[in-house]
Parts: sequence; C-alpha cells; structure tokens
Amino acid sequence: MIRSTGLWPLLAAVLFVAPAVGDQHNSDLVTSLSSDVISIQSNFTGTEIVIFGQAQNFERQPNDPSSLELAIVVEGPPQDITTRRKGRFLGVWVNREAERFQNVPSFYAVASTIDIGELANRDILDDLGIGLNHINLAVSGVSNVPLADRDDFREAFVRLREETGLYSEQETSIQFLTESMFRTNIPLPANIPVGEYRVKSFLFKGGEVVSHTEETMAVAKIGFEQITFRLAQHYPLVYGILAVSLAIFTGWLAGVIFRRD
Amino acid sequence: MQLYLPIAEIPVNIFVIFGMGGAVGFLSGLFGIGGGFLLTPLLIFSGIPPAVSVATVTTQVVASSASAVVTYWRRKAIDLKLATILLVGGVFGSLIGVILFDVLQSVGQLDLVISLSYVTFLGAIGSLMLFESVRAIRRRKSGVAPKARRPGQHNWIHGLPLKVRFRRSKLYVSVIPVVGLGAIIGFLGTVLGIGGGFMMVPALIYLLRVPTSIVIGTSLFQILFTMAAATIFHAMGTKTVDIVLAMTLMIGGVIGAQFGARMGQNLRGDQLRLLLALLVMGVGLRFAVDLLLVPEDLYSIAIRKGAGA
Repeated sequence: MIRSTGLWPLLAAVLFVAPAVGDQHNSDLVTSLSSDVISIQSNFTGTEIVIFGQAQNFERQPNDPSSLELAIVVEGPPQDITTRRKGRFLGVWVNREAERFQNVPSFYAVASTIDIGELANRDILDDLGIGLNHINLAVSGVSNVPLADRDDFREAFVRLREETGLYSEQETSIQFLTESMFRTNIPLPANIPVGEYRVKSFLFKGGEVVSHTEETMAVAKIGFEQITFRLAQHYPLVYGILAVSLAIFTGWLAGVIFRRD
Repeated sequence: MQLYLPIAEIPVNIFVIFGMGGAVGFLSGLFGIGGGFLLTPLLIFSGIPPAVSVATVTTQVVASSASAVVTYWRRKAIDLKLATILLVGGVFGSLIGVILFDVLQSVGQLDLVISLSYVTFLGAIGSLMLFESVRAIRRRKSGVAPKARRPGQHNWIHGLPLKVRFRRSKLYVSVIPVVGLGAIIGFLGTVLGIGGGFMMVPALIYLLRVPTSIVIGTSLFQILFTMAAATIFHAMGTKTVDIVLAMTLMIGGVIGAQFGARMGQNLRGDQLRLLLALLVMGVGLRFAVDLLLVPEDLYSIAIRKGAGA
C-alpha cells in the first residue's frame, strides 16, 4: 500500500539517486516508482502507484507544448483472451462469434502530458504501443468473425476492459512539479491480476522518442491469500479435502449446537 | 467490510455475502431444502464469476446437508444401503459433470447451459409443485380426504432386473433406476451448483416409492457425499472453489437455517410447498427473462491463458 506521506522521501530519493540510475540508459530521462511490490492481502481493495521522474537537459517551456512531452505506460503480464458476441438463436441469446486475442496485456494504463495523438505519428505510437488505440492486439488465426466486424470486436474488447478498470487512458495526467520534474498516479483496481508489471516511460521531442526508461513492478498475493491460492493451484486434492472437511465440520458443529430434538 | 477472495480474485462485501448465506439458509430451513438453486444464481447476479459460484456452492451444500444429516442420523431416518447405491451413481454423474463443465467453459457456452438448465428444471419442477400444492390446499378446504395409495402399487420401474432388497425402506427394486437417479442428480448438481434435493425427494417418493419418513434423511445423506465429491472434483478440475467465500456462506447459512426451521414448524405443509413452488418458478423465470431479452452488452470476454486464467 502506498501512503501519501511516503512521497517526500521518495522525491528526495529520486533527486539524489536518480542521476546514477539514469546513467545506465542515457542521461535524459530518469524515473522511479513509489513501490516495486504491490501486495494483495485480504483487505486489498485496489491501490495506486506513483511514478516520479526527471527529464534532465531539457527545459520544459510552458508556452511551447511541442517542446517536450511524456507518456508513461504500465503493462501487466500477458494473457490470451477470448471476446464473444451474442446473437439470437431460436429466440434465445447465445454466444455466437468469438475472437481470440493473444498475448495482450492483462493490465494497461497510459498517462501522458498531452493528447496521445499529438505525441507522435500513428506508426510510432503503434510501434511502441502507446494509447488504447495503439495497443498491439494480435488475433489467433482461427476465428469465425467476418472481416468487416473485426474492428467491432477490438473496440468491444478495449471497452469491456476499460469498464473493469483494467485498461485506462489518462491524457494530460502527468504533472510537472518543476520545469524538469514530473509525477503521475496510476490507479490499480482491486481486480488486477498478479504477476510482473512493466512501467515504460517515453520522452518525446518534436514527434520523436528521444529517451525512454523501463522498470518492473511485481503484483503479488501475500500471507493468507498467497497460501490459499498456492494450495488451490499446486495441491488441489489437499485443498478440496480441506474445503470438504471444513464444510462437514461447520455443518456438524451447527447440528450439535442447534440441536432441536 | 471488504474482503479479498483469494480464488475469485475480487473483493466482496463480507456482510452482503454473509447476509445472502443467511437468507438462503433461512429459506432452506423453512422448506427443508438445500438452497443451492437459490444461492448459485444470487452469487452470479451479484458479480461472482459463474464458475466460482457453482463450485463454491457445492462446498456450501456439504455444510448445510451435514448439519441436517446429524439430526436424521439421530432419528435413524436414513436408509444407508439405498443412500450408498445412490451415491455410487452420484459420484459418477458428478465426475461427468466436471468434465462437461470444463468443456463448456472453453467453448463459451457454460453460462448458456446453466441458464437453460435452470429454466427447464426449475420451471418444470416449480409448475409440478404449484399444481400439487394448490390441489392439496383445495382438498383441505373442501374437506375431501385424499385418495390413499394402495400398498404394493407398482410401476414400470419395478419390472427392471438386478433387484436388491432395501430393508430400511421396505423396498425390493432394481439398482438400475437407483444408480441412474443418483447419477442424474450428481451430474446436475455439479454443473448447476445445486444439491438437487428438490428433485431427488419427489423422484424417490413417486418413482421408487420410498417411505416419506426415510426419504429426506436418505436424500440428504447422499447429497452430502455427492457434493463432497463434487467439491473435490471442482477443486482439482476447474480450480474454482473459493474457501473464503464458502466459509462465509456456510456460517451465514447454518445460522439462517435454524431460524427458518423454527418458523417452518408454524406453517402448514401445503402452504409451504406453494411458497416453495412460487420461489422455484421465480428463479426459473429470472433466467428465462435473461435469455429472451436483448442483453445489455452483446460482447463478453473470458481469459483463456496467462495471468488470472
């Protein structure tokens, strides 16, 4: 969990430590996450991650928006997801066509300083996967979707994921604290999948990427949630017997406590 | 209070789930039913994934039937031999159920099959019960004594081979319909997340002519073990049994059942059956409406592989 009080030490850390880290890539852009592990416990109802950074050697000109722009993408571990469309069959609504999207991010959030379309041209955005309209949604070869409807499936997929909070696009949500320092908050909803997340930051100048950084963040269940999940996944027989024993015990106990005859 | 469910991977309001368990427990105590056919749809409508709802309710049914079995065991109102043979069929049916569940899920037709089955079974059984209870109430009002069933009355089932004697039930019937009945209920229970008592009890009475004093205990006993097997099959196959969700439902359920049972003693049997019939038909209708009306969203997504699949 991230507390807002924790931000100032973090900011200080970015200021002092960041130049050293930044040298590994190039000296133009440095970023840091408020936390590299998001723990899911029984009280988890979602959280947010704060991304701090500094764009050195560039003086942002407030009057000249094209001078320096940023986009930050947070991507969850890949999934294969089937999107289905219902149709009427003998008067009943049933799933008819299906399209399978392969290796798509389970979580995707993008934040930027200006409208994504103004960052760079379409090819660059497609290539880097910046923006909900530019994510690479590869489909499997087998599909019963007519070609003309493919875009509908793509749109529906992105819309459904947006509705669950797993995909989001927050244009102009990156704030500049000083002329070269920035921060943004990415909300992580309660239903985020566990796994390794990638945080990619891009610095644009005149429609070109001049610098970028990439960091990783882990989302993991801990404590009771982790033990339960592991047991269910790796020792399903033990888990099943445990569930049954608990149920029989609870029922038996109730039968004894509330004895009626 | 929000609680994160480790298998369903979503947070839920624990008091709402507890209340649902309690309310369904109350009704199950009132009517002497397991309540799975009410609980599974309630969970699905409240946003728990259907696969988790179905698998978890099988665990909850274990608890609620275990609680009642204790009582019937004490009264010696269980035909163990009959229950065991039903159970053999039940475990087999349950195994087929889990396999089909998996297949349907991967082709995206699980929700449809669950809905269609609810409409069919609840609609049919609800109508039968409604018809029967209205007739019973009318008869009671007009004061006409019901026609007593002649002892030794037989139907085609009693002509089947492989006959076995069930001393406790005073029966001499073939094992084929017993195993078959167990298998059908076990199969439906596993796929639909119901105990199936509301199907098992009438079938035992009308098809096999099991005495009414023994039928409920025997049915509960076989449901207990069939659903225990279904829980283990679900845990190993679909991996969708959520133990935290199950525990919350169980505790709410067993408490609610006590109040329901007390209230049930003050109501007449035919009135209870009429109320239950309306309830069963109501749930069936709700599924029918969903199938027939234009869905709010034509599209749906399902994770097939990778994180959270």
